[in-house]
Amino acid sequence: MRKSGMLALLLLCMLILGACSLNSDAASLYKQESPLQVKMNVPEDLSVNEEVVFEVSLSQNGAPVDSADFVHFEVQKQDGSIRFPMEEAENTENGVYQMQFEFESEGLYYFEVHAGNKGSVVSPQQQFIVGKLSDSELESLKQGSKPEQGSSGHHH
Amino acid sequence: MEKNTEKTSAAKAPKKSVNGRFYKTVWRWHLYAGIIFAPLLVLLAITGSIYLFKAEIEEVLYKDYYQVSPQDERAAVTEQLDEVKRLYPDAVATKYRPGESETRSSEVTISSNGESLTVFMDPYTGKSIGELNNDDRIMDKIEEIHGELMAGTLGDRIVELAACWAIVLMVTGFFLWFPKKKTGIAGTLIPRLRKGKKILRRDLHVVPAFWVTGGLLFLVLTGLPWSGLWGANFQAITTNTGEGYPPSVWIGDAPTSNIQTQDIAEVPWAAETLDVPLSAIQGQIPLSLDKVVEVAEQEGIYPSYSIFIPQEPEGVYTLSVFPPKAQDEATIHIDQYSGAVLADYRYENYGVIGKIVAWGITLHKGSQFGLANQLISLFICLSVVFVAISGIYLWWKRKPQNGIGAPAAPALFNTKAFLFLMIGLGILFPLVGLSILAVWLIDWLLIQRIPSVKKWLNA
Repeated sequence: MRKSGMLALLLLCMLILGACSLNSDAASLYKQESPLQVKMNVPEDLSVNEEVVFEVSLSQNGAPVDSADFVHFEVQKQDGSIRFPMEEAENTENGVYQMQFEFESEGLYYFEVHAGNKGSVVSPQQQFIVGKLSDSELESLKQGSKPEQGSSGHHH
Repeated sequence: MEKNTEKTSAAKAPKKSVNGRFYKTVWRWHLYAGIIFAPLLVLLAITGSIYLFKAEIEEVLYKDYYQVSPQDERAAVTEQLDEVKRLYPDAVATKYRPGESETRSSEVTISSNGESLTVFMDPYTGKSIGELNNDDRIMDKIEEIHGELMAGTLGDRIVELAACWAIVLMVTGFFLWFPKKKTGIAGTLIPRLRKGKKILRRDLHVVPAFWVTGGLLFLVLTGLPWSGLWGANFQAITTNTGEGYPPSVWIGDAPTSNIQTQDIAEVPWAAETLDVPLSAIQGQIPLSLDKVVEVAEQEGIYPSYSIFIPQEPEGVYTLSVFPPKAQDEATIHIDQYSGAVLADYRYENYGVIGKIVAWGITLHKGSQFGLANQLISLFICLSVVFVAISGIYLWWKRKPQNGIGAPAAPALFNTKAFLFLMIGLGILFPLVGLSILAVWLIDWLLIQRIPSVKKWLNA
C-alpha cells in the first residue's frame, strides 16, 4: 500500500509537471482582431521625371478589400523639400489601389499609406530612392534617421 | 510524551486508537512543516508588508525623478529617444513609458552592458532628469526576496514550496484546532487568558491561527498564479480552456508583425564601406514611437501604460498596463510596420478564471481598493508573523531536552485517510507531492537506519 501509493504519487506529479504547455491556437479562443494587411509595390530603379505608378494591395482576413473605408497616399522627400500631401488613391480591382507620381529631384523619399477598413487602421511607410542618394542622405540613413516630423498622422 | 500533550481539551488525543493515531500523524506533520517553513513564511509576510506600499514608498524615494513642471508643448517621443541614444550610445532602448499625468516624467528603459537602466526624461524639454539602475531599486529587491529569495529559479521554487506547505499547515492546523468536545468558544474562537501559562501559550497560537487562516489562504491562493511552476502550469491550463488570460497577457507569445523579410528596409551600417545595394534600402520602415503613442490614445488605454519596443524584425510594439484596479488592465500588440492592432486584450476579454486571477492579483498587491486593501493585507501579514512565532515558541516551550518533541510516529503512511489527504494535496500542488516523496525517502534511507537520529526525531 505504502510503496505503491508513493509510486502512484510520483507518477502523477511527473505527469502534472510535464503536461502543461500552451496550445498554439489558444488565441482563437479569445477576442480576435481583423488587421488590414498592406502590400506596398514601389517600382525599383526610379529615375527623375519619369511617370511611375505606386500600388498597394489591401487584404483583410485573407480576402482582398475591394471597397476600403479610405485609402490615402502620401509621399515626401526625406529633407522635407518635396511633399505630395495625402490624397485618395484610385480603387482598381482586387483590392489594389494606385496613384501616379513623377519626381523632379533625386534622393531619398518616403511613401506612406493611410488605410482603414472595418475598424482596422494602418499607416505603413516605405522608404524608396529616386536616382541616386546624396552623401548626406546616405549619412543620415546610417544614423538611422527617420523622415522629418510634421506629416499628417491623424486621420479618420 | 505525556508531559508534552498538556492537559487541554484540544491537545488531548481522542480515546479511539485509530483516531488517536491519525491525530498524532497530523500533529507530527504540522510540527515538522511548521518548524521548517515558519521562518520563510515570516520572511514572506514581512517583505509582503513592505511591498504593499510600493507605490507610496517609491513616490517619496524618487520624487525628484518623477515630477516635472508642465509646459505648453511636449517634445516628440522620437526626440526623447534620440537624446537617450546620444547620452548612451551603446545602449538599446527596450521600453518607453509616457507618464500618467501632466506632472509626471516619461521613462525610457535601456539595456546597456547587461544592465537595465531607467532614464527619466522631462517630456517637455526632451532632456534627461536622471537615471536609475534597476538593480538598485530597493522595492525591486524586496519584490525579488518576496518572489524568489533573490535566488532565481531555485528561490522561486522554494517560495512556491513554502506557499504550498502553508496550505498544508492550514489544513492540518484546522484539524488540530477543530474542537473534539462542545467546549464553547473559549480556546477555539477566543483565547483563555487566565487559565495558566501553558494554556495561554497554546491559545495564543491556535486561536489567532484560526482567525488568520481565511486571509492567509487568500494570499497564498492569489499569490500562487505568479509562481514559476504551479503558476505557469495553472496559467497554461486556464488559457488553453479559453477561460483564463488571453495568450501573451501572462504566458504565451505575442503575435508577430505581418511582413516578409525582403520588404523591410535595411539600415546601412556606419562601419560598412561597401556600397549598399539600393534595393535593400528600399523597403518598409518601422513605425515611430510617436505614432504608437497616437494609436494608444485612439484605442483608449489607462495612462500609466508602457510601450515595449520590438527588438526583432518580426517583433511587435506591445502596449501594456497593469494598473491598481484589475478592470483597467490592457495588453495591445501593434504591427511594427503597418501600425495595425494585431491583438487588443482588455479585462473584459479575459475568461472567467482570468478575471478572477486578475482580481486576486490586484487584491494580493493591495492596490484594488487602495488604503483599506493595504491595511487589511498588512494586518493579515502581521498576524501571520505572530502566529508563526507563537507556534515556534509553543513548540520550544513544550519540547523535551533530548528530542524534538514530536508525537511518536506511526509508520509514515499507515493511516489511509492521511495517505489520501497527502496524495490529494500532492496532486493539487506537485511540489508538495515531490517534497513528501523526499521526506519519505529521507525517512526510509536515513532516519530509520540511524538509531540516534531516529530517537531524537521520535520516528
